[in-house]
Amino acid sequence: MHSVENKSDERMLWTRFLKGDNQVLSLIYLQYSNALFDYGCRFTVDRDLVKDCIQEVFCTLIRTRKNLSETDNVRLYLLKSLKRRIIRDLKSASGKPRLLNDQDYSFDLLLSDSLDDQLNELDEEKRQLLSSAMLSLTDRQKEAIYLRFNRGLEYEEISFLLSLNYQSSRALIHRAIEKLREVIHVQQKKINQILFSILCCDTKYAFQHKK
Amino acid sequence: MEKYRDYSAVDFLDDESFLRWLSSPTQEENDFWNGFLKKYPYKKTEIREATLVFHLFSSRENKLALTEQYDLWKRIQNESKTSKQDVLLKFAKYAAILVLVFFSGAVSYHIYQDTPIQQQFQLAEAIPAAKGEAMIVLADGSTVSLDKQMSEISYSQDGKQLIVNKDTVRQKPGSEDESINKVIISYGKKSMIVLSDGTKIWLNAGSQLIYPSVFTDKIRQVKLIGEAFFDVAKNPKKPFIVNTSDLSVHVLGTRFDISAYPDDKVIHTVLEEGKVSLKYSANGILGREYVVEMEPNQMVELEKATGKVSRTMVDVSKYIAWKGGLLEFEKADLGRALKQVERFYDVKIFLPDQTISSYKLSGKLDLKDDPEKVLNVIKLTVPIEWQRKSNGDFIITKK
Repeated sequence: MHSVENKSDERMLWTRFLKGDNQVLSLIYLQYSNALFDYGCRFTVDRDLVKDCIQEVFCTLIRTRKNLSETDNVRLYLLKSLKRRIIRDLKSASGKPRLLNDQDYSFDLLLSDSLDDQLNELDEEKRQLLSSAMLSLTDRQKEAIYLRFNRGLEYEEISFLLSLNYQSSRALIHRAIEKLREVIHVQQKKINQILFSILCCDTKYAFQHKK
Repeated sequence: MEKYRDYSAVDFLDDESFLRWLSSPTQEENDFWNGFLKKYPYKKTEIREATLVFHLFSSRENKLALTEQYDLWKRIQNESKTSKQDVLLKFAKYAAILVLVFFSGAVSYHIYQDTPIQQQFQLAEAIPAAKGEAMIVLADGSTVSLDKQMSEISYSQDGKQLIVNKDTVRQKPGSEDESINKVIISYGKKSMIVLSDGTKIWLNAGSQLIYPSVFTDKIRQVKLIGEAFFDVAKNPKKPFIVNTSDLSVHVLGTRFDISAYPDDKVIHTVLEEGKVSLKYSANGILGREYVVEMEPNQMVELEKATGKVSRTMVDVSKYIAWKGGLLEFEKADLGRALKQVERFYDVKIFLPDQTISSYKLSGKLDLKDDPEKVLNVIKLTVPIEWQRKSNGDFIITKK
């Protein structure tokens, strides 16, 4: 979901943390742990790996506090360092770390079927739409879209996470949205066609009866 | 408004204020976009499409379970403890500043006084009472799970030892300002807690209580999220304060019930005996503070959104019947009553037709029965029907 974090609160927490207030870190942790976890789970299904990486991110944060500055964007810093760690771990687990570069990863926008996921009919339709849309997007596009809509990041922040410049990340998202629109159009046409054919049958049927 | 005249769906999805509206609409924004559509009706398809694309992604997210979140936090704390020396040094510096501030003025004292206890309060507050997880979180972060329907917790006078359902738990010795404990009671459970000063607290389902294991301050302070009945041990020298999201109750020694669930629109306080004063501030933190004195057998309700306060004479027993596993209602809104049933049984009850929620309900419900039986009893007094879906949720409809 779009996360609406209060910017001045965030600033205040960060400043206090930099000044050595350790208690405030627990608040930072609470505020971001689930967003980080969700982002991490998009790269891998291995929840434990994601949790280990989150642990590392926060421990590094405590260790390197002196090198951080007040102008740092907390959320972005956390997301970026989590991503770096996860990709590093995934690469070394793959057994051929040298062959893969840092852009080689998959990104999952669809949620795995959790047990308590009770989808009603409307959601089912949405899911089908979504899955056909997903096939047409690249992993980078998915990540950009995710950061934009689910995490509510701005373009500058997205470019930083994707190591792109502002213009390219914007273009990336625009292309992705255009693709999604196409999919929606196609799906709607299909739905309309079905509706149309049902209507036709009905009228035919009606006519037969009149005779 | 003008600038959106020629926007395409993609342009809308590129607009910060449009996105903000989709993710968390305010009344103002609703008005703005409705006004826009009225003025430029031909933009409807573009907006619809943009909304559709956006909502494709507002699916459920991966979340850490509450215990996972705690465990992970403990792991982080343990790993970083190696640099504890460093922290202690800083702490000493802090203490020195604190002393200085103490002398330099009351205003800054107030800010610093807030820090440790309020932060702990905030911390605990941010954690939702997850399904089926009831526990005590001790000062060192360790947890004791409460798996009984009704858990009994009592503290020794020095706060160092507690008995949980007849098992003795020793708190790890720590500094006194780190003695904050929390009890989290999930839906479907209850708990009785005896604090170190002898104060008894019955905590209702889906509630949290945050308190120091021993009261060393000049005032006894606890924080409540949800509902509890308090039987406060008399101590004229140390007033007792219950903080909730929107108001605080100041007492010396008395018995009263507060219901302050985050998802309820109203906070109510019912006084059984003694005297209490309620403090609340209208319009958030900056608004001025109001004080209401309460007499026994009164109920004061505070409407969170508007700050409106009303006072009525009530039969106290009806409001504290939940302690004994009963729910009693007298012309209560069905919507609010069903919320209590929801919390008690840890089930979801949906009212697709909102007019039902203002039906008035009177009578007694025995919560020892299963939820089906309880709904059947309700059915006898108000014209409703209920169904249970395969996932266990209840749907209530008009008869």
